[in-house]
Amino acid sequence: MRNILALIQRYYVFLIFLALQAFSLFVLFSNNNYHKAEFISHSRDWVGSIYSKRTQLKEYLMLGEINDRLSLENAILRSQLPENFSVVDTASTSQFDSLSYKKFEYRNAKVVNVTLNRERNYITLDRGALGGVEKEMGVISNGSIVGIVSSVSDHFSVVMPILHSKFQASVRMKGSGDFGLLAWPGGDPEIADVKEIPKHVQVEIGDTVITSGYSSHFPSSQMVGYVYSMDDRAEENFHRIKIKLSTDFRKLSYVTLVKDLLKYEQDSLLQQVRTLDGDNDSD
Amino acid sequence: MAITILINILRIAFLILLQSLVVNRMQPLDGLILPWIYIFGILMLPFETPRWLVLVISFGVGWLMDFFSGPPGLHMSACVLLGFLQPLVQRLFSPREGYEITQRPTVQKMGLAWYLTYAGILTFAHHTWLFFMEVLRFNDFFYQILHIILSVAATLLLMTIGQYLIYTSKNSEQ
Repeated sequence: MRNILALIQRYYVFLIFLALQAFSLFVLFSNNNYHKAEFISHSRDWVGSIYSKRTQLKEYLMLGEINDRLSLENAILRSQLPENFSVVDTASTSQFDSLSYKKFEYRNAKVVNVTLNRERNYITLDRGALGGVEKEMGVISNGSIVGIVSSVSDHFSVVMPILHSKFQASVRMKGSGDFGLLAWPGGDPEIADVKEIPKHVQVEIGDTVITSGYSSHFPSSQMVGYVYSMDDRAEENFHRIKIKLSTDFRKLSYVTLVKDLLKYEQDSLLQQVRTLDGDNDSD
Repeated sequence: MAITILINILRIAFLILLQSLVVNRMQPLDGLILPWIYIFGILMLPFETPRWLVLVISFGVGWLMDFFSGPPGLHMSACVLLGFLQPLVQRLFSPREGYEITQRPTVQKMGLAWYLTYAGILTFAHHTWLFFMEVLRFNDFFYQILHIILSVAATLLLMTIGQYLIYTSKNSEQ
Protein backbone atom coordinates (compact mmCIF):
# COMPACT_ATOMS: atom_id res chain seq x y z
CA MET A 1 0.00 0.00 0.00
CA ARG A 2 2.75 2.37 0.92
CA ASN A 3 4.48 1.53 -2.33
CA ILE A 4 1.40 2.45 -4.31
CA LEU A 5 1.14 5.77 -2.48
CA ALA A 6 4.81 6.46 -3.15
CA LEU A 7 4.27 5.62 -6.82
CA ILE A 8 1.30 8.00 -7.04
CA GLN A 9 3.28 10.70 -5.25
CA ARG A 10 6.13 10.29 -7.70
CA TYR A 11 4.12 10.26 -10.91
CA TYR A 12 1.13 12.36 -9.93
CA VAL A 13 1.74 14.95 -12.66
CA PHE A 14 1.78 12.22 -15.29
CA LEU A 15 -1.39 10.71 -13.81
CA ILE A 16 -3.16 14.08 -13.88
CA PHE A 17 -2.02 14.43 -17.50
CA LEU A 18 -3.41 11.01 -18.42
CA ALA A 19 -6.72 11.72 -16.70
CA LEU A 20 -7.22 15.13 -18.36
CA GLN A 21 -6.13 13.80 -21.76
CA ALA A 22 -8.48 10.82 -21.48
CA PHE A 23 -11.34 13.15 -20.60
CA SER A 24 -10.54 15.46 -23.55
CA LEU A 25 -10.36 12.60 -26.04
CA PHE A 26 -13.60 11.17 -24.68
CA VAL A 27 -15.34 14.52 -25.22
CA LEU A 28 -13.80 14.80 -28.70
CA PHE A 29 -14.74 11.36 -29.96
CA SER A 30 -18.09 10.95 -28.27
CA ASN A 31 -19.26 14.05 -30.19
CA ASN A 32 -18.23 12.75 -33.56
CA ASN A 33 -21.43 11.22 -34.84
CA TYR A 34 -23.35 13.82 -36.78
CA HIS A 35 -26.82 12.61 -35.87
CA LYS A 36 -26.00 12.45 -32.18
CA ALA A 37 -23.83 15.55 -32.25
CA GLU A 38 -24.99 18.30 -29.98
CA PHE A 39 -22.30 20.91 -30.67
CA ILE A 40 -23.21 22.15 -27.21
CA SER A 41 -20.31 24.49 -26.95
CA HIS A 42 -20.99 26.31 -30.22
CA SER A 43 -24.59 27.12 -29.53
CA ARG A 44 -24.02 28.50 -26.03
CA ASP A 45 -25.80 31.82 -25.81
CA TRP A 46 -22.87 33.73 -24.33
CA VAL A 47 -20.53 32.64 -27.11
CA GLY A 48 -23.19 33.68 -29.60
CA SER A 49 -23.56 37.10 -28.04
CA ILE A 50 -19.79 37.76 -28.23
CA TYR A 51 -19.86 36.75 -31.88
CA SER A 52 -22.85 38.96 -32.65
CA LYS A 53 -21.04 41.98 -31.14
CA ARG A 54 -18.19 41.39 -33.54
CA THR A 55 -20.60 40.92 -36.43
CA GLN A 56 -22.24 44.27 -35.68
CA LEU A 57 -18.87 45.92 -36.13
CA LYS A 58 -18.12 43.99 -39.30
CA GLU A 59 -21.54 44.74 -40.74
CA TYR A 60 -21.03 48.42 -40.21
CA LEU A 61 -17.86 48.22 -42.25
CA MET A 62 -19.60 46.20 -44.98
CA LEU A 63 -22.71 48.41 -45.25
CA GLY A 64 -21.92 49.57 -48.77
CA GLU A 65 -21.59 46.11 -50.19
CA ILE A 66 -24.70 44.85 -48.37
CA ASN A 67 -26.64 47.83 -49.74
CA ASP A 68 -25.56 47.01 -53.27
CA ARG A 69 -26.68 43.44 -52.92
CA LEU A 70 -30.01 44.38 -51.33
CA SER A 71 -30.83 46.88 -54.02
CA LEU A 72 -29.94 44.33 -56.67
CA GLU A 73 -32.23 41.80 -55.01
CA ASN A 74 -34.95 44.44 -54.74
CA ALA A 75 -34.68 45.10 -58.45
CA ILE A 76 -34.96 41.40 -59.24
CA LEU A 77 -37.95 40.95 -56.94
CA ARG A 78 -39.67 44.06 -58.27
CA SER A 79 -39.31 42.76 -61.79
CA GLN A 80 -41.21 39.67 -60.70
CA LEU A 81 -44.26 41.58 -59.44
CA PRO A 82 -47.51 40.38 -61.04
CA GLU A 83 -48.26 43.81 -62.56
CA ASN A 84 -45.17 43.44 -64.68
CA PHE A 85 -46.71 40.50 -66.52
CA SER A 86 -49.58 40.72 -68.93
CA VAL A 87 -51.97 37.82 -68.88
CA VAL A 88 -52.04 36.14 -72.26
CA ASP A 89 -54.68 33.51 -71.74
CA THR A 90 -56.69 33.20 -68.53
CA ALA A 91 -57.32 29.52 -69.11
CA SER A 92 -53.66 28.66 -68.71
CA THR A 93 -52.77 30.61 -65.56
CA SER A 94 -52.80 28.62 -62.38
CA GLN A 95 -54.97 29.67 -59.45
CA PHE A 96 -54.40 29.07 -55.76
CA ASP A 97 -57.17 27.02 -54.25
CA SER A 98 -57.65 24.53 -51.46
CA LEU A 99 -56.09 21.80 -53.56
CA SER A 100 -52.68 23.37 -53.29
CA TYR A 101 -50.92 23.24 -49.94
CA LYS A 102 -47.91 24.91 -48.49
CA LYS A 103 -44.89 22.64 -48.24
CA PHE A 104 -42.04 24.96 -47.33
CA GLU A 105 -41.92 27.87 -44.92
CA TYR A 106 -39.10 30.44 -44.89
CA ARG A 107 -37.50 32.50 -42.14
CA ASN A 108 -34.59 34.88 -42.42
CA ALA A 109 -31.58 34.97 -40.09
CA LYS A 110 -28.34 36.85 -39.74
CA VAL A 111 -24.98 35.11 -39.80
CA VAL A 112 -22.91 35.92 -36.70
CA ASN A 113 -19.95 33.62 -37.24
CA VAL A 114 -18.46 31.58 -40.07
CA THR A 115 -15.42 29.32 -40.08
CA LEU A 116 -13.93 28.33 -43.42
CA ASN A 117 -10.50 26.90 -42.81
CA ARG A 118 -11.22 23.66 -40.92
CA GLU A 119 -12.17 20.18 -41.98
CA ARG A 120 -15.43 20.71 -40.09
CA ASN A 121 -16.72 24.23 -40.42
CA TYR A 122 -19.70 25.78 -38.68
CA ILE A 123 -21.92 28.79 -39.21
CA THR A 124 -23.65 30.47 -36.25
CA LEU A 125 -26.98 32.26 -36.84
CA ASP A 126 -28.66 34.83 -34.60
CA ARG A 127 -32.02 33.03 -34.60
CA GLY A 128 -32.71 30.13 -32.27
CA ALA A 129 -35.50 27.99 -30.89
CA LEU A 130 -37.49 31.05 -29.75
CA GLY A 131 -37.37 32.31 -33.34
CA GLY A 132 -38.80 29.05 -34.68
CA VAL A 133 -35.58 27.34 -35.69
CA GLU A 134 -35.51 23.57 -35.40
CA LYS A 135 -32.84 20.98 -35.93
CA GLU A 136 -32.47 19.62 -39.49
CA MET A 137 -33.90 22.73 -41.15
CA GLY A 138 -32.27 23.63 -44.46
CA VAL A 139 -30.38 26.90 -44.88
CA ILE A 140 -30.21 28.76 -48.20
CA SER A 141 -28.89 32.13 -49.27
CA ASN A 142 -30.14 33.95 -52.39
CA GLY A 143 -31.48 30.66 -53.75
CA SER A 144 -28.23 28.71 -53.22
CA ILE A 145 -27.92 26.06 -50.56
CA VAL A 146 -25.73 26.74 -47.51
CA GLY A 147 -26.20 23.86 -45.05
CA ILE A 148 -28.37 22.16 -42.45
CA VAL A 149 -29.13 23.31 -38.89
CA SER A 150 -27.36 20.95 -36.51
CA SER A 151 -27.86 22.52 -33.10
CA VAL A 152 -30.21 25.09 -31.60
CA SER A 153 -30.19 27.13 -28.39
CA ASP A 154 -32.75 29.73 -27.35
CA HIS A 155 -31.33 32.63 -29.35
CA PHE A 156 -28.74 31.09 -31.65
CA SER A 157 -28.38 28.12 -33.93
CA VAL A 158 -25.40 26.38 -35.47
CA VAL A 159 -25.42 25.26 -39.09
CA MET A 160 -23.39 22.44 -40.58
CA PRO A 161 -22.55 23.98 -43.96
CA ILE A 162 -21.52 22.26 -47.19
CA LEU A 163 -17.98 22.96 -45.97
CA HIS A 164 -18.06 20.14 -43.39
CA SER A 165 -16.51 16.72 -43.90
CA LYS A 166 -19.75 14.99 -42.81
CA PHE A 167 -22.10 17.05 -44.99
CA GLN A 168 -23.87 15.22 -47.82
CA ALA A 169 -26.79 16.26 -49.98
CA SER A 170 -28.60 14.78 -52.95
CA VAL A 171 -28.11 16.91 -56.09
CA ARG A 172 -29.20 16.77 -59.72
CA MET A 173 -27.65 17.84 -63.03
CA LYS A 174 -30.02 20.50 -64.33
CA GLY A 175 -29.66 19.42 -67.95
CA SER A 176 -29.90 15.65 -67.81
CA GLY A 177 -31.69 15.25 -64.49
CA ASP A 178 -29.26 12.61 -63.19
CA PHE A 179 -28.78 12.39 -59.44
CA GLY A 180 -25.48 12.65 -57.60
CA LEU A 181 -24.13 13.16 -54.13
CA LEU A 182 -22.61 16.45 -52.98
CA ALA A 183 -19.65 16.27 -50.59
CA TRP A 184 -16.81 18.59 -49.63
CA PRO A 185 -13.24 17.25 -49.76
CA GLY A 186 -11.77 20.01 -47.60
CA GLY A 187 -9.44 22.80 -48.62
CA ASP A 188 -10.85 25.41 -50.97
CA PRO A 189 -14.18 26.77 -49.64
CA GLU A 190 -15.42 27.41 -53.20
CA ILE A 191 -14.99 23.91 -54.61
CA ALA A 192 -16.94 20.72 -53.79
CA ASP A 193 -17.26 17.20 -55.25
CA VAL A 194 -20.26 15.61 -56.94
CA LYS A 195 -20.07 11.82 -56.76
CA GLU A 196 -22.03 8.88 -58.14
CA ILE A 197 -22.96 10.35 -61.53
CA PRO A 198 -22.43 7.43 -63.93
CA LYS A 199 -20.00 7.70 -66.86
CA HIS A 200 -22.65 7.33 -69.55
CA VAL A 201 -24.19 10.67 -68.54
CA GLN A 202 -22.86 13.51 -70.68
CA VAL A 203 -21.43 16.23 -68.42
CA GLU A 204 -19.87 19.45 -69.70
CA ILE A 205 -17.81 22.07 -67.91
CA GLY A 206 -20.17 24.85 -66.86
CA ASP A 207 -23.25 22.64 -66.41
CA THR A 208 -25.56 23.72 -63.61
CA VAL A 209 -26.03 21.54 -60.52
CA ILE A 210 -29.22 21.99 -58.45
CA THR A 211 -30.80 20.27 -55.44
CA SER A 212 -32.78 17.14 -56.19
CA GLY A 213 -35.66 17.71 -53.77
CA TYR A 214 -35.31 14.12 -52.52
CA SER A 215 -34.16 15.17 -49.07
CA SER A 216 -36.54 17.07 -46.86
CA HIS A 217 -33.91 19.70 -46.03
CA PHE A 218 -34.09 21.71 -49.24
CA PRO A 219 -36.80 22.46 -51.80
CA SER A 220 -35.97 21.14 -55.26
CA SER A 221 -34.14 23.21 -57.91
CA GLN A 222 -32.12 25.35 -55.49
CA MET A 223 -28.78 26.37 -56.95
CA VAL A 224 -25.74 24.37 -55.83
CA GLY A 225 -23.05 25.34 -58.32
CA TYR A 226 -21.47 24.89 -61.73
CA VAL A 227 -19.26 22.08 -63.03
CA TYR A 228 -15.74 23.40 -62.72
CA SER A 229 -13.50 20.53 -63.73
CA MET A 230 -13.65 16.79 -64.37
CA ASP A 231 -10.94 14.28 -63.58
CA ASP A 232 -12.30 10.92 -64.79
CA ARG A 233 -10.37 7.69 -64.27
CA ALA A 234 -10.63 4.90 -66.81
CA GLU A 235 -11.10 2.19 -64.18
CA GLU A 236 -14.06 3.85 -62.43
CA ASN A 237 -17.70 3.84 -63.45
CA PHE A 238 -18.49 7.30 -62.16
CA HIS A 239 -17.46 10.82 -63.12
CA ARG A 240 -15.16 12.70 -60.76
CA ILE A 241 -16.80 16.10 -60.93
CA LYS A 242 -15.61 19.20 -59.11
CA ILE A 243 -18.11 22.05 -58.90
CA LYS A 244 -17.74 25.70 -58.04
CA LEU A 245 -20.28 26.43 -55.30
CA SER A 246 -22.68 29.26 -56.04
CA THR A 247 -22.73 30.29 -52.35
CA ASP A 248 -19.90 32.63 -51.45
CA PHE A 249 -19.21 31.60 -47.86
CA ARG A 250 -16.70 34.39 -47.42
CA LYS A 251 -19.38 37.04 -47.86
CA LEU A 252 -22.31 35.28 -46.21
CA SER A 253 -24.28 37.74 -44.07
CA TYR A 254 -28.00 36.96 -44.38
CA VAL A 255 -29.52 33.53 -44.91
CA THR A 256 -32.97 31.97 -45.22
CA LEU A 257 -34.06 29.00 -43.10
CA VAL A 258 -36.32 26.49 -44.81
CA LYS A 259 -38.83 24.45 -42.87
CA ASP A 260 -40.45 21.44 -44.52
CA LEU A 261 -44.01 21.46 -43.17
CA LEU A 262 -44.69 17.95 -44.40
CA LYS A 263 -41.45 16.40 -43.15
CA TYR A 264 -43.07 14.80 -40.12
CA GLU A 265 -45.82 13.25 -42.21
CA GLN A 266 -43.33 11.97 -44.82
CA ASP A 267 -40.97 10.52 -42.22
CA SER A 268 -43.68 8.84 -40.19
CA LEU A 269 -45.16 7.24 -43.32
CA LEU A 270 -41.75 5.85 -44.26
CA GLN A 271 -41.27 4.67 -40.69
CA GLN A 272 -44.60 2.78 -40.84
CA VAL A 273 -43.57 0.99 -44.01
CA ARG A 274 -40.20 0.13 -42.55
CA THR A 275 -41.79 -1.27 -39.39
CA LEU A 276 -44.10 -3.41 -41.54
CA ASP A 277 -41.11 -4.71 -43.50
CA GLY A 278 -39.23 -5.42 -40.29
CA ASP A 279 -36.45 -3.19 -41.47
CA ASN A 280 -34.93 -1.41 -38.51
CA ASP A 281 -32.56 0.81 -40.39
CA SER A 282 -32.25 3.90 -38.29
CA ASP A 283 -31.62 6.53 -40.98
CA MET B 1 2.55 37.53 -6.54
CA ALA B 2 -1.11 38.53 -6.70
CA ILE B 3 -0.40 40.90 -9.56
CA THR B 4 1.41 38.11 -11.46
CA ILE B 5 -1.65 35.87 -11.15
CA LEU B 6 -3.98 38.67 -12.26
CA ILE B 7 -1.80 39.56 -15.26
CA ASN B 8 -1.63 35.93 -16.38
CA ILE B 9 -5.41 35.56 -16.14
CA LEU B 10 -5.99 38.78 -18.10
CA ARG B 11 -3.42 37.76 -20.70
CA ILE B 12 -5.07 34.38 -21.24
CA ALA B 13 -8.53 35.94 -21.55
CA PHE B 14 -7.28 38.59 -23.98
CA LEU B 15 -5.46 36.02 -26.12
CA ILE B 16 -8.50 33.73 -26.38
CA LEU B 17 -10.65 36.65 -27.54
CA LEU B 18 -7.93 37.84 -29.93
CA GLN B 19 -7.64 34.31 -31.34
CA SER B 20 -11.33 33.73 -31.88
CA LEU B 21 -12.42 37.22 -32.92
CA VAL B 22 -9.47 38.36 -35.01
CA VAL B 23 -6.89 35.72 -35.92
CA ASN B 24 -9.42 33.03 -36.87
CA ARG B 25 -11.00 35.44 -39.35
CA MET B 26 -7.80 35.87 -41.30
CA GLN B 27 -7.30 32.99 -43.67
CA PRO B 28 -4.24 33.56 -45.82
CA LEU B 29 -3.91 31.06 -48.70
CA ASP B 30 -7.34 29.45 -48.08
CA GLY B 31 -6.49 28.34 -44.56
CA LEU B 32 -3.08 26.91 -45.41
CA ILE B 33 -1.66 29.10 -42.65
CA LEU B 34 -3.60 29.00 -39.40
CA PRO B 35 -1.72 30.35 -36.37
CA TRP B 36 -2.97 29.47 -32.88
CA ILE B 37 -1.49 32.31 -30.87
CA TYR B 38 -3.60 31.71 -27.75
CA ILE B 39 -1.04 29.16 -26.53
CA PHE B 40 1.22 32.16 -25.80
CA GLY B 41 -0.74 32.44 -22.53
CA ILE B 42 0.48 28.97 -21.51
CA LEU B 43 4.05 29.54 -22.73
CA MET B 44 4.26 32.73 -20.64
CA LEU B 45 3.43 31.05 -17.30
CA PRO B 46 6.27 31.80 -14.81
CA PHE B 47 9.00 29.21 -14.32
CA GLU B 48 8.06 28.57 -10.70
CA THR B 49 4.46 27.52 -11.52
CA PRO B 50 3.89 23.98 -10.16
CA ARG B 51 3.55 21.33 -12.89
CA TRP B 52 0.07 20.26 -11.83
CA LEU B 53 -1.08 23.90 -12.01
CA VAL B 54 0.32 24.30 -15.54
CA LEU B 55 -1.69 21.22 -16.53
CA VAL B 56 -4.90 22.50 -14.95
CA ILE B 57 -4.51 25.99 -16.47
CA SER B 58 -3.84 24.47 -19.92
CA PHE B 59 -6.92 22.30 -19.56
CA GLY B 60 -8.96 25.40 -18.72
CA VAL B 61 -7.55 27.36 -21.65
CA GLY B 62 -8.37 24.53 -24.05
CA TRP B 63 -11.84 24.22 -22.58
CA LEU B 64 -12.53 27.93 -23.14
CA MET B 65 -11.08 27.79 -26.66
CA ASP B 66 -13.40 24.89 -27.50
CA PHE B 67 -16.38 27.16 -26.94
CA PHE B 68 -15.23 29.32 -29.82
CA SER B 69 -13.65 26.95 -32.26
CA GLY B 70 -13.55 23.38 -33.40
CA PRO B 71 -15.39 20.28 -32.19
CA PRO B 72 -15.60 20.07 -28.36
CA GLY B 73 -12.51 18.47 -26.79
CA LEU B 74 -10.07 19.28 -29.59
CA HIS B 75 -8.27 22.24 -28.03
CA MET B 76 -8.66 20.71 -24.60
CA SER B 77 -6.69 17.68 -25.73
CA ALA B 78 -3.95 19.67 -27.50
CA CYS B 79 -3.58 22.09 -24.58
CA VAL B 80 -3.31 19.29 -22.00
CA LEU B 81 -0.45 17.85 -24.06
CA LEU B 82 1.13 21.31 -24.21
CA GLY B 83 0.73 21.80 -20.47
CA PHE B 84 2.41 18.47 -19.83
CA LEU B 85 5.37 19.22 -22.11
CA GLN B 86 5.91 22.88 -21.12
CA PRO B 87 7.70 22.26 -17.77
CA LEU B 88 9.71 19.40 -19.33
CA VAL B 89 11.01 21.63 -22.13
CA GLN B 90 11.75 24.40 -19.64
CA ARG B 91 13.78 21.95 -17.53
CA LEU B 92 15.58 20.64 -20.62
CA PHE B 93 16.87 24.09 -21.58
CA SER B 94 17.43 25.49 -18.10
CA PRO B 95 20.72 27.21 -17.29
CA ARG B 96 23.13 25.16 -15.12
CA GLU B 97 22.28 27.09 -11.96
CA GLY B 98 18.52 26.99 -12.63
CA TYR B 99 16.17 29.86 -13.39
CA GLU B 100 16.30 32.98 -11.28
CA ILE B 101 13.18 34.13 -9.51
CA THR B 102 12.91 37.28 -11.63
CA GLN B 103 13.30 35.46 -14.93
CA ARG B 104 10.32 35.00 -17.25
CA PRO B 105 10.15 32.93 -20.44
CA THR B 106 10.40 35.96 -22.73
CA VAL B 107 12.76 37.02 -25.50
CA GLN B 108 14.01 39.95 -23.44
CA LYS B 109 14.90 37.85 -20.39
CA MET B 110 16.14 34.65 -22.00
CA GLY B 111 17.38 35.69 -25.43
CA LEU B 112 15.98 35.07 -28.90
CA ALA B 113 17.70 31.70 -29.50
CA TRP B 114 16.46 30.25 -26.21
CA TYR B 115 12.96 31.55 -26.83
CA LEU B 116 12.67 30.23 -30.39
CA THR B 117 13.84 26.75 -29.30
CA TYR B 118 11.51 26.69 -26.30
CA ALA B 119 8.44 28.08 -28.08
CA GLY B 120 9.24 26.28 -31.34
CA ILE B 121 9.23 22.78 -29.83
CA LEU B 122 6.04 23.40 -27.84
CA THR B 123 4.20 25.13 -30.69
CA PHE B 124 5.11 22.36 -33.09
CA ALA B 125 3.89 19.69 -30.64
CA HIS B 126 0.63 21.55 -30.01
CA HIS B 127 -0.13 22.31 -33.68
CA THR B 128 0.70 18.79 -34.87
CA TRP B 129 -1.47 17.17 -32.23
CA LEU B 130 -4.31 19.63 -32.87
CA PHE B 131 -4.24 19.14 -36.61
CA PHE B 132 -4.09 15.35 -36.75
CA MET B 133 -6.70 15.01 -34.00
CA GLU B 134 -9.00 17.17 -36.11
CA VAL B 135 -8.61 15.43 -39.47
CA LEU B 136 -7.73 11.91 -38.25
CA ARG B 137 -6.35 10.81 -41.57
CA PHE B 138 -3.08 10.88 -43.41
CA ASN B 139 -4.02 11.37 -47.05
CA ASP B 140 -2.53 14.36 -48.83
CA PHE B 141 0.37 14.07 -46.40
CA PHE B 142 2.54 16.73 -48.05
CA TYR B 143 -0.17 19.39 -47.80
CA GLN B 144 -0.79 18.59 -44.15
CA ILE B 145 2.90 18.79 -43.23
CA LEU B 146 3.19 22.08 -45.11
CA HIS B 147 0.12 23.38 -43.28
CA ILE B 148 1.63 22.51 -39.89
CA ILE B 149 5.08 23.96 -40.66
CA LEU B 150 3.71 27.24 -42.03
CA SER B 151 1.23 27.60 -39.14
CA VAL B 152 3.96 26.98 -36.54
CA ALA B 153 6.16 29.57 -38.26
CA ALA B 154 3.30 32.09 -38.29
CA THR B 155 2.51 31.48 -34.60
CA LEU B 156 6.18 31.89 -33.62
CA LEU B 157 6.49 35.05 -35.68
CA LEU B 158 3.38 36.62 -34.16
CA MET B 159 4.38 35.68 -30.61
CA THR B 160 7.91 37.06 -31.03
CA ILE B 161 6.79 40.30 -32.69
CA GLY B 162 4.14 40.69 -29.99
CA GLN B 163 6.80 40.51 -27.28
CA TYR B 164 8.94 43.17 -28.95
CA LEU B 165 5.87 45.40 -29.22
CA ILE B 166 4.51 44.92 -25.70
CA TYR B 167 7.37 44.13 -23.34
CA THR B 168 10.05 46.69 -22.81
CA SER B 169 12.80 46.05 -20.28
CA LYS B 170 10.83 48.06 -17.73
CA ASN B 171 7.56 46.17 -17.66
CA SER B 172 8.77 42.66 -18.45
CA GLU B 173 8.85 41.65 -14.77
CA GLN B 174 5.45 39.96 -14.85
